[in-house]
Amino acid sequence: MSDERGGADPDFAPERVANAASESGDWLAAARERVRVFAQYDGPIQEKADVVVVGSGPCGAVAAYELARAGKDVILVEEGPPFTVRDFELDGNLSMTRTMREGGLRMTRGTTMPTMQAVALGGGSLVNSAICVRPPQSVFDRWATGFELERTNREALDPHFDAIGAFLGIAPTPDAVQGRRNLLFRDACDALGLSSEPIARNVRGCRGSGECFTGCRSRAKQSMDVSYVPAALRAGARVMTSLQVQAVRHVGRRATGVAGHVVVPFSGGSRVGRTHRFSIDAKAVVLAAGCTATPVLLRHSGNLANRSGQVGRNLQFHPGVAIAGVFPEAVDPQFGATQGYQSLAFLDEGFKLETLWAPPPLLSMRFPGMGAELQARYAELPRMAVWDAIVGANRSLGEVRVRPWSTNPVLHWRLHPEDLAILRRALHVIARLFFAAGATKILPGVHGFAEQMVREEEARALDSPAVRPENLVMGGNHVFCTTRMHGDPTRGVVDEDGRCHDLENLYIADTGIFPMCPSVNPMWTGMALARRQALTLANRL
Amino acid sequence: MLGSVFTAFLVIGAALVLAIAFQRRCFAGYPAPPPGLAVLHRGEVAFIQAAAEVLFPDGAGLPVVGVDAHLPLYVDHHLSALPPRQRLQIRALLALFEHVTLVQPAGVPGGHDRFSSLPPAARIAVLERISSHETLSIRILFTALRAVLSLGYLGHPANLRELGLAPFEIEPAVSDAELLFPRVGALPLSNRHLLADRTDPTHRAPLDPDGPRHRAYLRSSRDSR
Ligand SMILES: Cc1cc2nc3c(=O)[nH]c(=O)nc-3n(C[C@H](O)[C@H](O)[C@H](O)COP(=O)(O)OP(=O)(O)OC[C@H]3O[C@@H](n4cnc5c(N)ncnc54)[C@H](O)[C@@H]3O)c2cc1C
Ligand code: SF4
Repeated sequence: MSDERGGADPDFAPERVANAASESGDWLAAARERVRVFAQYDGPIQEKADVVVVGSGPCGAVAAYELARAGKDVILVEEGPPFTVRDFELDGNLSMTRTMREGGLRMTRGTTMPTMQAVALGGGSLVNSAICVRPPQSVFDRWATGFELERTNREALDPHFDAIGAFLGIAPTPDAVQGRRNLLFRDACDALGLSSEPIARNVRGCRGSGECFTGCRSRAKQSMDVSYVPAALRAGARVMTSLQVQAVRHVGRRATGVAGHVVVPFSGGSRVGRTHRFSIDAKAVVLAAGCTATPVLLRHSGNLANRSGQVGRNLQFHPGVAIAGVFPEAVDPQFGATQGYQSLAFLDEGFKLETLWAPPPLLSMRFPGMGAELQARYAELPRMAVWDAIVGANRSLGEVRVRPWSTNPVLHWRLHPEDLAILRRALHVIARLFFAAGATKILPGVHGFAEQMVREEEARALDSPAVRPENLVMGGNHVFCTTRMHGDPTRGVVDEDGRCHDLENLYIADTGIFPMCPSVNPMWTGMALARRQALTLANRL
Repeated sequence: MLGSVFTAFLVIGAALVLAIAFQRRCFAGYPAPPPGLAVLHRGEVAFIQAAAEVLFPDGAGLPVVGVDAHLPLYVDHHLSALPPRQRLQIRALLALFEHVTLVQPAGVPGGHDRFSSLPPAARIAVLERISSHETLSIRILFTALRAVLSLGYLGHPANLRELGLAPFEIEPAVSDAELLFPRVGALPLSNRHLLADRTDPTHRAPLDPDGPRHRAYLRSSRDSR
């Protein structure tokens, strides 16, 4: 038995990879036996385990590993397929059709905003930029006071952050792979007297290819499919991919397992893509299907765990805005860590600044104009950098609703005027940073405003009330709170251990349990909470 | 009695006339599409080429112009990979632009003709009118169309290569994922990796910014990717 803080991870020391040559192949053969992929399913499936974990994103993968390490018989179920390096699609747009829900074209209603959720072994970690940030104590203070939480603070969670940090090699991005577009951001912050730092990432041996979004061909990024999922397999877990869980089975206050269908890879989980039925009996169920999927699953399971009426509600995002800046000389933006530098200087004001890169055709979708004018912008891309801000928009709320005949949700969300004001301010700060770094012009990408600005004074317009939500081109890939944690069972879905207030053995371990958005990139926090939860559950079983 | 038979004839006749007009407007007279398309019909292909010609014209410094960028092929590939709902949305967008002249004629003789039948200057005028429309949601329709086409246009290997933005040539690594999992859709037996194949990411140097680019981007044609 392990205590709630857990011990070190003996089977996953950093030097493990280096010692590969001397390793025995036995674990590999045994671990391969415990993996199931689409091509292997030839009839209905019936399995049994101590714990079934639904979803292999950062939270589910950590939970599965810790439970397996504690000696529990674990099945990790994932709807998406595993990707190998040769399955990665270099074209960003086509890549999204394989790795993302709704082909990457998911949008919120109310205030329209694109939002992406991955469907793959490893969940969001396969496509994300590996940014790891521990929220400051002030974030946890707000969680504690607003949501009656006693043990969810930095002191209690730091051991879990530390363990995950050591496991994944989370470390600041070295200068050698920053590339010019990231270092220009550092210079800009210096010029304006703002603090900045290299971003800490779950990466080992980054080569600066800037392609985290389409999958790391160097396998430097420690996404879950190369880190926690293999470790869970080594610890004895079974991993079943291409299985879409459609219901949590339950009797009274106890979950008894999950059921659903095998789905054809890349079929979007639609009815036509379903083949055999499966069902898994378990002593405990951990839902880690992600903040937009878990509420749908609960609703489809007879509105399970919803006596509080909070399932699917309180939806929050970190809406983000970005500006492209054009410099007089080459920036060579294709080289450099995807997101290598950040500034936390404005965290208290509600936003965080970062550098950003993505496949150029995706970035260029927001370029204005057409014809020769548009092509002239493309020609400027080699001299461009893109910087963004994410906003801790905890006043902007929404809801995950069930779409008839579909496992995809309808996401309703509205940007609150006060959060809009923060976004405007963030845009203005980014613009100032660009001019401080020597950019000759910026493309603010705000509908109805100058398509390009060449002087800092012009950029003041971005921080004016004339900028309304519909003028902004936002994106929101950090999603929270739809099954929120609350000490009071009438006001939240899960308790501090992630256990549903209404059921004895149903746990939720994804970013949906955050009581409020954390104002910084959420992956590490989600994993820390999942780790704590898994160790507690292991002790209870 | 006679009256209602007459009315029925009138209704059926009107419906027939409408159906013929609809068929002629939406399907007749388009050139044959290139072979190998899975989703797009010939009208959509004609529209994409007509829009590409004015959105990405000749003489702007990029090696490939819109009409030579194989955009119908690219959009077809994209649509085939999308779930049905999103596929429908994009096809509706294409249809909307192709037939927008029914309600907003281009200011030239024959201005009600399909977008793809208009001369280039009239097509530019139509797109400009939509892109600068006073209603934001209408302007956004133009942004959406431009996005659908520019993904394929700028993403064309020759254009990315010319701009120095093609992905780097990288020897694919072998991590635990490659050891444990077969390629998508394949059986585990097809995975021939051995433990000794595993690469150590920490032993690889940062890429050279001027280093070689992925070989698929060295050829000129999209078809060769
Ligand atoms: C492009 C992008 C970049 C990002 N960059 C960063 C970053 O740099 N740093 C950071 O902290 N955060 C980042 N994020 C956010 C981060 O990736 C997510 O917050 C994180 O992945 C959430 O983890 P999760 O385990 O809660 O859910 P997910 O990662 O969404 O995993 C849920 C998994 O459950 C599976 N699933 C869903 N429904 C079912 C079902 N019914 N049956 C079986 N399986 C199911 C899904 O396929 C998925 O694999 C980014 C997100 C995106 C999209
Ligand atoms: S920047 Fe490139 S090498 Fe570095 S982690 Fe991302 S994809 Fe891998």
